[in-house]
Amino acid sequence: MAKRSLAMQLDEVVQAMLVSLRPRPEEAPDRDLASLARVAQVLRELPREEFRTALKSDLQRRASMSEGTAATTAGTGEAQGRAVDYLRPGLTSITPYIIVRGAAQFIEFLNNAFEGVERMRVPTPDGSIMHAEVAIGNGAIEVSDGSEAYPAAAGAIHLYVDVADATYARALRAGATSIYAPTDDHPSGDRWGAVKDQFGNHWYIATPKGWTPGPEGLRSVQPYLHLREAHKMIPFLEAAFGAEAMGVHKSPEGTVLHGTMRIGNATLEIDEAHGEFQPMPCHLHVYVPDTDAVYAQALRAGATSIEPPQDKPYRDRAAGVKDAWGNSWFIATYLGMK
Amino acid sequence: MGAGENARRAGVTFFVVGSYIVRAMKATRRPARKRLAKGADEGVPGGVAQGVEERLLVESAQSDPAKFDALYELHYERVYAFVAGRVRDRASAEDVTSEVFHKALASLPRYEWRGVPFAAWLLKIAANSIIDHAKRAAREFPAPDDARESASDPELRASELRTIEYRAQLFRMVGQLPEVQKQVVYARFVEQRSIREIAQRLGKTEGAVKQLQLRAVQNLRARMEGGHG
Repeated sequence: MAKRSLAMQLDEVVQAMLVSLRPRPEEAPDRDLASLARVAQVLRELPREEFRTALKSDLQRRASMSEGTAATTAGTGEAQGRAVDYLRPGLTSITPYIIVRGAAQFIEFLNNAFEGVERMRVPTPDGSIMHAEVAIGNGAIEVSDGSEAYPAAAGAIHLYVDVADATYARALRAGATSIYAPTDDHPSGDRWGAVKDQFGNHWYIATPKGWTPGPEGLRSVQPYLHLREAHKMIPFLEAAFGAEAMGVHKSPEGTVLHGTMRIGNATLEIDEAHGEFQPMPCHLHVYVPDTDAVYAQALRAGATSIEPPQDKPYRDRAAGVKDAWGNSWFIATYLGMK
Repeated sequence: MGAGENARRAGVTFFVVGSYIVRAMKATRRPARKRLAKGADEGVPGGVAQGVEERLLVESAQSDPAKFDALYELHYERVYAFVAGRVRDRASAEDVTSEVFHKALASLPRYEWRGVPFAAWLLKIAANSIIDHAKRAAREFPAPDDARESASDPELRASELRTIEYRAQLFRMVGQLPEVQKQVVYARFVEQRSIREIAQRLGKTEGAVKQLQLRAVQNLRARMEGGHG
């Protein structure tokens, strides 16, 4: 009974496979048996049927949630619906877009130093990162590896955290170097420290003290622009983006010591470049209700075009301009999933 | 913007990896021993027509996430086979596979069609997820070097792609086995039951179960060689 004996032989092979972590090399196996054993070897990793089904319904739920959210928002009154509609879910009106050589290591740093949570990573097959989003607190940072058209550009970012000292220490452990340790003497009145990461970005780490959160609450992530002739940035932002100056402190000579500018539901900060805090032309991602209108306004206000408005496959209408200080502004309107 | 520009630059590389996958898929579909094997098996997007069809699937899922289902059905086995080959156990394989499809669903609006299999994109996401998984695991339970070594290589070699396609195809074939053979395969290989338990459950003798196991494996081998078992 050759057939029966093959069944038994195969089962011995299978049994050995199932009990040992590493497959045992067969001793002079018969050719027929060897090829069956190879199939059995693969079956050891056969996925559970239940998993396939469970994951499928999981994904269906997720897909219908993203639709449901949009629909609910639209139904809560037109003005409010529209105010949220043009923002890509998970992003505020202003997000720093950090283009960095070694984006993967940079994300690792954001994770270690600031408890950043990677929300999305769109890789390219050569191992670099086309686009990634990392959530920090209630804000986010977008990250990409550099290219010729969009070279790496370090930026300065102001983070509001619960305990500045703890975050500062963690950033140093993650490889950043200190600019200065957290102090209560910062002009803002907040407890404020500063570090520089291995990629050249500045991080201003602060615990809010005198801050009264606005209707949108406190933003964890704010771009901070050090500029020459910073006072000229205020009318530019007003004209180009309809920004609103929320508090500008000037020296008696008219130099901007600190200014907060609001666009939509987020803010950025500016000051006159000084000492260690020199201009760092960077990339900013701004979501607006009407990309075409803002693009035209920005050009009228003195910006130059990088890219005229166009519909992107990732459901944004997007354009790019460069301001007189060399910062790139990616202007975008989220078109929704429909 | 920056992401778009990078995508354009990456297009070339994408194409290279993509054609690798197509070649690997073709190699799996038509083993050298039987060149006249029946045409394309379902779910292997190798040909031009299927490429066009897949593009439509991708675009329709981009405009309506509920249509992501079709892409999931098409690539589930492939992604699972790839992940299972690189992680240590079933739980990890399921975690990572789940993560890959969730990431893909979330990132789908940013996927740009380049005439290259969607699979190349998915496997790249998978490769990154495996690395992340290995790092997380290493943080919690420091692993021996060899395990981390195998998990931390993000490059997809042609030989590995062929292996992935072979295994994915085998996984799909299990679903086409006669019902009892299928039950034996799942009980034995997935649930890791003993022959005795399976015999009791199915109300058969142990010899009969071993015989069913043999038939199932022979069937699969025959189907993988392009025959009809």
